[in-house]
This record gives sequence, C-alpha cells and structure tokens, in this order.
Amino acid sequence: MGPVRAGNLWRMSDEEAGRRRARGELESEVMTALWAAGEPLTPAGVQAALGGELAYNTVLTILIRLLEKELVRRGPADRGRGHAYWPAQDAATLTATRMRAALDERPDRQAVLQQFAAGLEADDVQMLRALLAEREA
Amino acid sequence: MTFTVYLPLLLPVLVALAARQLTDRARPRAAVLALVAASVLTAAASVWSLLLLVLTLFDDLPAMVALDSRPGVHLPEPVPDRVAVTAAVVLAACLLNLARDVHRHRSTARRLRDAGPAAGGVVVADWDEPLAVAVPGRPGQVLMTTGMVRVLDADERRAVLAHERAHLAHRHHLAVLLTSAAASVNPLLRPARDAVSFLVERWADEEAAAGLGNRDLVARAVARAALATADFRTPAPALGVHGGVIVRRVKALHRPAPTTATWRLALPAAAVIACLVLEANATLDFVDVLRAWLTN
Repeated sequence: MGPVRAGNLWRMSDEEAGRRRARGELESEVMTALWAAGEPLTPAGVQAALGGELAYNTVLTILIRLLEKELVRRGPADRGRGHAYWPAQDAATLTATRMRAALDERPDRQAVLQQFAAGLEADDVQMLRALLAEREA
Repeated sequence: MTFTVYLPLLLPVLVALAARQLTDRARPRAAVLALVAASVLTAAASVWSLLLLVLTLFDDLPAMVALDSRPGVHLPEPVPDRVAVTAAVVLAACLLNLARDVHRHRSTARRLRDAGPAAGGVVVADWDEPLAVAVPGRPGQVLMTTGMVRVLDADERRAVLAHERAHLAHRHHLAVLLTSAAASVNPLLRPARDAVSFLVERWADEEAAAGLGNRDLVARAVARAALATADFRTPAPALGVHGGVIVRRVKALHRPAPTTATWRLALPAAAVIACLVLEANATLDFVDVLRAWLTN
C-alpha cells in the first residue's frame, strides 16, 4: 500500500502506455497505407508499402485487429493463397459527411484548418515546388 | 486613481513586440509558453483595470448619492463617470467576445470528435480535399482525409501523423484557445495570438523532426501537404496570418533546430511584471478612495 508500490504501478502503466502508443501508430500506418494503395493489398503488399521495416507477422496481426474493428474488409487474394485487405468504405464515407458538416458551417474554416492550408500564395507555391524538386534531384 | 489603472490596458503592446521577436528566433516551445503566459496575465490585468474603473461608479448608487449630498462633505472624484461608463461597456463587450470565442472553439472540436471510428488514434475520412486535423479530446484523434493520404508517401504520412500527434500530446489547442481568448479581451494581443498559432505548428514540426530523426522529411511532408491543399482550392486569405507561413516552416526545417537565448524572454516577463505592479498600485488607490468615501 506504500508509496513504493504506487511508484511501481505508475512505472508499469507508463510502459503499458508506451506499448499501446506504438501499437496505435502501427495501426494508423497500416490503415493509411491501405487507403493510399487504392486496391486490395496482401499482408506482404502492406509490408512493402510501409517500406519493409515491419515483420510480416506484425503486419498480419495489425490487419486482423483492424478487421475485428470493422475498419478493413478482406477477400481471397488474386493470386496465391491468403487474403487481400482493403479499407471499409462506409465508415470513411460517414466520417467525411460529418467532417464536412462540421467544417462547412464555420465562417473561419481556414483558421481551424490553418495547419497546412494557411495562406499559400502564388509565389509560395512556386517556391515550395522548387524546394521539393531540388531535394528530390 | 491615476494612470496606473489605464496603463495596463496598453502594456500588451510589449507582448506583441515580444511575439514578433520570438517567432523566428526562439525554440517554439519556449516562445509558446512565454507568450501564452504573458497574454493571459496581461489580458487578466486589462479586465481588472476595467473592473476597477467600473466599480468607481458605486458613488452613483442611490445610497451613496444621498451620502454625497450631505452638506460639508467633499469627496474626491477619482474617475469621471463618462470614463467609468465607457469602461463598463467595453468590459461587457470583452466578456461577450470571450464567451463567443471559447464556445466556437469548443463546438467545432466536439463535432469533429465524433466523426468516426479510429485506428490507432487516426480517423480516415473518404474525401478528396486534402486535410489533416488534430482533434483534441480524451483521447485526442487525428482526422485525415483520403485526399491527404494519397498525396503523401509512407514516410511523409508518418511525418504528418507525428506532427498532428505532437499537437495533441502538448495540448496545443489550449495554447491557441487561451491566446485567442486573451486577444478577444484586449485586441492589442492579436499579434501574440497569431504568433502562437504559427508557433504551435513550428513546435509540432520540430517535435516530428526530432521523433523521426529527419528534418528534411518533415519539411518535404509539410511542403507536399500544403501544395496539395493549394491545388485543391484557392485558399481564402488566411485570417491574421501573414502569407508565406508554410514557406517559413519549411525553411526553418532546413536550418538547424533553434535554441532560445534566455534574454529574449525578458520582454514578455517585463510586460507581466509591469502589469502586476501597476494593478497592485491601482487597486490600492481604489481601496484608498473607497475608504475616503465611506468614512466621510
């Protein structure tokens, strides 16, 4: 009951939180990779889309977790064995409708979305394009 | 009462100056914390000053008027009634402004919060317009449209998500809300509010860059996301933010991470200390006047 035990509990929950956060980041990366692909991906396909840093089993575990949350669907893969996964459309469509409704009635929509949308002028566009091209060259 | 009650209404000018000084030269985190604290405290001082001015109307209460008209009683006239009434109107307008501002911030966040199911704190909306927003709450969420997801590669998406998660982790919405509320009380604080909304973006950029260990990647992601947004719709002129903020962010990421020289924090600190001293002085003056009145 003493402070020592409380300290231990605190540390454990901190570690737990860290693990959960890392797992969450992976989930969101897999999810957005599926949306970016625009076609059903096998676990190996997801693995490749994320730069091949994750283990196959990790990717599969995350896909199954997303399947349980009904955020992705799956069907038989085109070739070979196993499944291909794609993002569930209905939830995302509904989200878009709600998001639009919440934003469209804002007169200062721009201020809410300031992060990337803030005041890009014609000069800025040219400069950013040049910067991107320069870095990619 | 003397100038000590009026001066705090003008001191936010120092905070605005500090905002300009700190924006590109200090670590965003230090600059945000200093500007939020200075804005809130000087705005509070403004409210207190107005309140003191309004309270001088108490000699117009019927009971006091009766007292006033006793023969042989000479009362100090500390503040002309005209000024006090103006202060009352301004104070009411300020508080109304503040309430509206806070309500607006909260209602949009609330509506965006229930937008849909999250995967690892990220909600994807199937919408062509490229958008990424951090929605505060418990827990906070990142809303990202398919339009945004598709213009970025996997690494850039990681960078944008890290940026949005930094907003949530450091409660940047609170910093924006507080300075916005402060600016709605005293319009002289608007430059500080604008600086803070720029600086939280810089802070999130720096945090993402540190987390991913790659400043160039974050710069690329910011540039790409902004370009995609600009391609999609011609942006309305940004509110209170000077053009070129994205370019400034990208350029800052191409430089080494800034460090803060402590002396740069002296200006906002001076504004706050001056406000506190003046308010203490004005309050004592007010108490003196009150005592003179009541004992006469």
